[in-house]
Amino acid sequence: MAQWQEVQSLANTYLEQVHQLYAGSALPMAVRQCLAAWIEDQNWRQAAEPLSSGHARMLFHSLLVLLGECLGSLGSGHEEFMLKHNLRKAQRDLQAEFEKKPEGFANLVANLLQEERRILRLGQAGGQGGSAPAPSPAPESGREQQIQRRLAEFHTALQEAERSFRHLEDLQDAFDFCYKVHYRPADNRSNDPGYIQELQALQAKLQSLDRQRREVLAQMQQLLGRSETLQELLQEELGGWRLRQQRLCLGGPGDTNLRPLETWFTELGQGLFQLRQLLRALQDLRQKVTYERDPLVAETPLLEQRLQEQLTHLLKSAFVVEQQPSTPNASRRPLVLRTASKFSARARLLVRLHDRNHHMEARIHIDRDPPNIKGFRKFNILTSSSKTLLAGDSPQEGLVCDFQYLTLKEQKESRAGKGKGSSGEGPLVVTEELHLITFTLAYAYCGLELELETTTLPFVIISNNNQFSSAWASILWFNMLSSDPKAQQFFSSPPPAPWPRLAEVLNWQFQSVAERGLSRDNLLMLAEKLLGSKPSQDSTVTWPKFSKDGPAGFSFWAWLDGILGLLQEHLKQLWKDELILGFVSRKQEKKLLKSKCTGTFLLRFSESVLGGVTFTWVEHPEKGSPTFQAVDPYTASELVSLALPDIIHDYQMMVEENIPENPLKYLYPSTPRDEAFGPYYSQRQKETLSDSQKYLNRRLIRVSSRQPGKWQTEEELVVATENLEMLQLQPRGQGTQQAGGLALPQPQTSGTPQVTPGCLGTPQGVATSPGVPQVTPECLGTPQGVASRLGIAQVTATCLGTLQPRGLGMLQPQPQNLEPPRVAAGVPDIQGTLHVAPGAVGTVQVLPGGLGMLQVGAGDLGTLQGQQGTVAVYTETLQGAVEPPRVPEEKGTLPAALRELELLQGSRDVQELLQGSRDVQELLQGSRDVQELLQGSQDVQELLQGSRDVQELLQGSQDVQELLQGSQDVQELLPESQDVQELLQALEGLGPGSGSLGALEEAELMPSVVESLEESFQLSPGSAALLDHHDPFLPQPEDSALPAVSSLFTDFPPLQLDASDFQ
Amino acid sequence: TEAVGLYNVGETCCLNSLLQVFFMNIHFTRILRRITVPSPAWRRSNVPYQMLLLLEKMQCGKCKAVWPTELAYCLAEHRVKLFVQYDAAQLFLTLWNLLKKQMKKPELVEELSDLYTIHIREHLACQNCSFEIKNNSTMLTLPLPVLDANSHRLKTLEHCLQYFFLPEELTGQNMCFCQQCGRETPFLQSRKLVQLPETLTLHLKRFCFERSSYTLKLSHSLPFPQELDFREILTENQCQADDSEKASWQYELFAVVAHSGYSSWGHYCAYIRSLTECRWYCFNDSHVCQVSWDDVKCTYGRSNLSLRETAYLLFYMKKHPQ
Repeated sequence: MAQWQEVQSLANTYLEQVHQLYAGSALPMAVRQCLAAWIEDQNWRQAAEPLSSGHARMLFHSLLVLLGECLGSLGSGHEEFMLKHNLRKAQRDLQAEFEKKPEGFANLVANLLQEERRILRLGQAGGQGGSAPAPSPAPESGREQQIQRRLAEFHTALQEAERSFRHLEDLQDAFDFCYKVHYRPADNRSNDPGYIQELQALQAKLQSLDRQRREVLAQMQQLLGRSETLQELLQEELGGWRLRQQRLCLGGPGDTNLRPLETWFTELGQGLFQLRQLLRALQDLRQKVTYERDPLVAETPLLEQRLQEQLTHLLKSAFVVEQQPSTPNASRRPLVLRTASKFSARARLLVRLHDRNHHMEARIHIDRDPPNIKGFRKFNILTSSSKTLLAGDSPQEGLVCDFQYLTLKEQKESRAGKGKGSSGEGPLVVTEELHLITFTLAYAYCGLELELETTTLPFVIISNNNQFSSAWASILWFNMLSSDPKAQQFFSSPPPAPWPRLAEVLNWQFQSVAERGLSRDNLLMLAEKLLGSKPSQDSTVTWPKFSKDGPAGFSFWAWLDGILGLLQEHLKQLWKDELILGFVSRKQEKKLLKSKCTGTFLLRFSESVLGGVTFTWVEHPEKGSPTFQAVDPYTASELVSLALPDIIHDYQMMVEENIPENPLKYLYPSTPRDEAFGPYYSQRQKETLSDSQKYLNRRLIRVSSRQPGKWQTEEELVVATENLEMLQLQPRGQGTQQAGGLALPQPQTSGTPQVTPGCLGTPQGVATSPGVPQVTPECLGTPQGVASRLGIAQVTATCLGTLQPRGLGMLQPQPQNLEPPRVAAGVPDIQGTLHVAPGAVGTVQVLPGGLGMLQVGAGDLGTLQGQQGTVAVYTETLQGAVEPPRVPEEKGTLPAALRELELLQGSRDVQELLQGSRDVQELLQGSRDVQELLQGSQDVQELLQGSRDVQELLQGSQDVQELLQGSQDVQELLPESQDVQELLQALEGLGPGSGSLGALEEAELMPSVVESLEESFQLSPGSAALLDHHDPFLPQPEDSALPAVSSLFTDFPPLQLDASDFQ
Repeated sequence: TEAVGLYNVGETCCLNSLLQVFFMNIHFTRILRRITVPSPAWRRSNVPYQMLLLLEKMQCGKCKAVWPTELAYCLAEHRVKLFVQYDAAQLFLTLWNLLKKQMKKPELVEELSDLYTIHIREHLACQNCSFEIKNNSTMLTLPLPVLDANSHRLKTLEHCLQYFFLPEELTGQNMCFCQQCGRETPFLQSRKLVQLPETLTLHLKRFCFERSSYTLKLSHSLPFPQELDFREILTENQCQADDSEKASWQYELFAVVAHSGYSSWGHYCAYIRSLTECRWYCFNDSHVCQVSWDDVKCTYGRSNLSLRETAYLLFYMKKHPQ
């Protein structure tokens, strides 16, 4: 705002001072008012200098002329009449008083303006003092204001300097002219008094020129000093932005808008370039006139260098990575890239100054200075690595180099030595290898040429999705702790994380994935789990403790990430609405529930199962202390078919009298169950008879049977008839199912292990096939699906022992249970006869328990052989039970499964088996996860097809190797593919050795193979978990009261198995 | 009063900065105003008198800056030549000594000394016997190293001060002759602070001599506080003063003389906090502007911007309980 306007808006006390100032002044206030803008624009101080008389005179006369113009433009109103009179009088008075001494007038005006400014400052300070108690704006915005104020000041000072410079030019021109005209050292006129006078005048002119030069220089020194401060402030802001960006990458909150920074950087850059121009012009002046002890000679080079240093620094810091490398679909987790998949990154130059005619090229390099780490993988950027810096058509867009659709490929020659951590050749595993992309830009503007560069945050390159989780752990750890953003060797000796910092970052993970962070109690539980005690401010967590396997068989992070995955996929809403207590230790859980009434339950995440959620409830028996029951944790594979609220709603407990009841009554602390979960129950379809009257109404529920003296209750899947009178099968809820979750690996967590057996040998791959029908969404609801399930169940019952010992107690003693399912299988046939006895229902309950097992079996070594056995019977049953005409729309699918099963039975050629799995794939069309199980499906399949020999296959196939590697610690299990070969040889040895042994016998052998694996290959607990007792669907340590009995297989009808099948 | 600049009359940026520091110090001007006017013959060469004249000119004139020409000529007579770049620390000593020498009244000389001199006791203790030499000395500035013995950067001004008062062992070539032992023995040299003046001058030794004659400027960051409390910096045995003296060892930053450019060639300016208004000003020869603490902080230095303004002399003023 103009000074005069500001003065007018002062408080009364200060206005009084202004009036006093003008009361005795030779310059009337009317003139000041009339020519306010012009007066403020002139450099009166300069004009007042004794030796610049011309300047003062010029200003004085300009003022009189302007005043005259002003008079002329005034109208003839009464008000204006008086004003006219006053102005005319002022004009006369001024002329009379200052005609002879315009410097005096200049001095007068300069002092008046200065005094005004002083009063203004006082007034504004006073105003601030008065309003001090009023809340000052946030410090952040205060900072912004400060920068903006300083920028404005800088520009004013720059304009001032330019004015001084122009004055200097005038003085120099005047001197130059006089010098050329009057200075005649050649003709000896040293006695001529006129000449001496001229020389004296010339000397005076030179003096004033020298003075002006020094003045301009002092001004520039001052300007540079101020811009240094300004730049310091901007650097601080930029540092803050970098931190915010890093935090945002980790899922933390923060605003990463670059717009204000861009504006400020550009303005300062503009100013500095202007100053640079001024300095250049100053040097030109020096070229024209110089003299002894010319200050320009001495000082401009230094000034220019200082300015150059500042400009360089400004530009270098202004080149920033606006968007860190990220793949498009993993937006929440940037900085993890996968080979062969596309990613993008963007850099921006915050100083938006460029020459339109000059195209600046930006380039990217990956790992320009690779760290000296053995086995460090080298990558090439496949797409073009250079790009012209886009200026954008609108000035808003700024100077951006946007690299999209980039892909990385590992360099071939490095493969020989890569080892990839599987054999410990390199000190870093793949997910701890940090890579950098450097952007370089050849900047050129106004004759300034600079090579700018900026570097992304370190990122991790994976080759398979199952490495994603641990890669993300590395990113978290790095960004949380590293002070040097280029420290690629960070994981050579990763520092421990202070607990408070880690807690904050973990909180962000939940915040960003599930939209609700961790409560204080949650964090306390996590801290105790990690640290073993209550956390203090100084507690630290080491990297191995966080990311490497713990006693539970998987790392803390894998566990937590499993929960994150579960939350994101299935429980987001419940978590958001705080229905899941989540992280509660058993001890704490008891403490919480003890005082609550029977049937109070809480939801918490399993500590022993990856990505599992469970509920615990309390019961107060008539005598004795309260008991706590917890159900076997649900994982994504179950929740995919049945939402947790529905499970809670339908949960049944078999009491002694076999009357099922739901023990879950109140959600902790005391919310009635239905009140808490009511809004989340899925809609029960009101049956329209016409549509599906052919079928019984049916829905999936889960029940547990109580077993004395055990913590967790067992549970089986029940196909319950919802309405016994109607007995209609109802394909309820299947539509909501997520495709393909069940037996198929979830890329990140517990699914991974299932891939392992799939790669170990073909039979396992096959083993997934029987499970397939359950996975396909369409199958579940159809009678055919039921039939197949029953078929499986039937078989399962016989081989249950090895597979799922806990089911044993119920099933084994009752071989006749095999019968009723057949009845149930027939149910769809006989719609009218609804008399399925409760007992029969009971038996039905048992069977799908086998189903649950089967689902897991796909991924489990121990169970897999049994399933082969299963398969044999399965087909029989299927063929017996399913009548194609009844399921016309499924025709295509089912025979496929059959075909495949026949493959199993009849020809056991591996290749054909795998061809069969193509059918599986068809079966599973639409389920993406399945395809991922098969490692982008094509890879494995083709590989398997291509090579008859499994051994060769494993040796040669890089992808399988990568697959193995990704799964937590399978690397250690399979240090080299050679070991796999050995394993397979061992397997092979078993095959021929036993001649035409049945699958059963081989199944018995398998566990021992696993054992030997454990011994010989240092099977880590993590992988053991995947193969062995840590499997989510196998008994947990807590409830492993029942031993795993493998000898049950002896009852099983032997299968014909040829040794050559495994060739 | 509005701050007034001083024109550069020939590489006088260093002189101008120091003059401003003197003039803005009301304790100093109080002394200066009481000098006796010398006889006309001596006026031209009397430094205190010329300084007073200049001060008067600055205060009465309505100009934004004045010419220190007469003073510059006067100094030239005392072998402080024009058109020569001076080291600010050196020029400060020269100027001060000239002032002290030419002030005729002994009470003024005493006041001037009291205002600026630091009293230190140096101890030299033989490590062999317990022979100890004590030596009282006075200093105008504390010359603080910015690097330690191993050429590591000292982090803050407080560290520099601590390092300065750290006892040093004199061994090997540096051994001293001990009267008692009758031979050269290793000595322990230590400094103890006895008394601190009203205006405390600290000199950051940013110019270091690397091999041969080449002088290097150390531009790394060295933060200095606005408030300095020696009781927190020094340990008990680094002081030799009674409690009332020590209680007064609390200081507030008053001025910074900053240097920009190279060691061989550069520019000086002064950041001074007006004692009456409590505002910071930057004096850049004829150009004066009001600044904030952020600007002063900018003179901490920065390694990668070596040409930028870096603090060279720091002036602290004793705090007085109000």
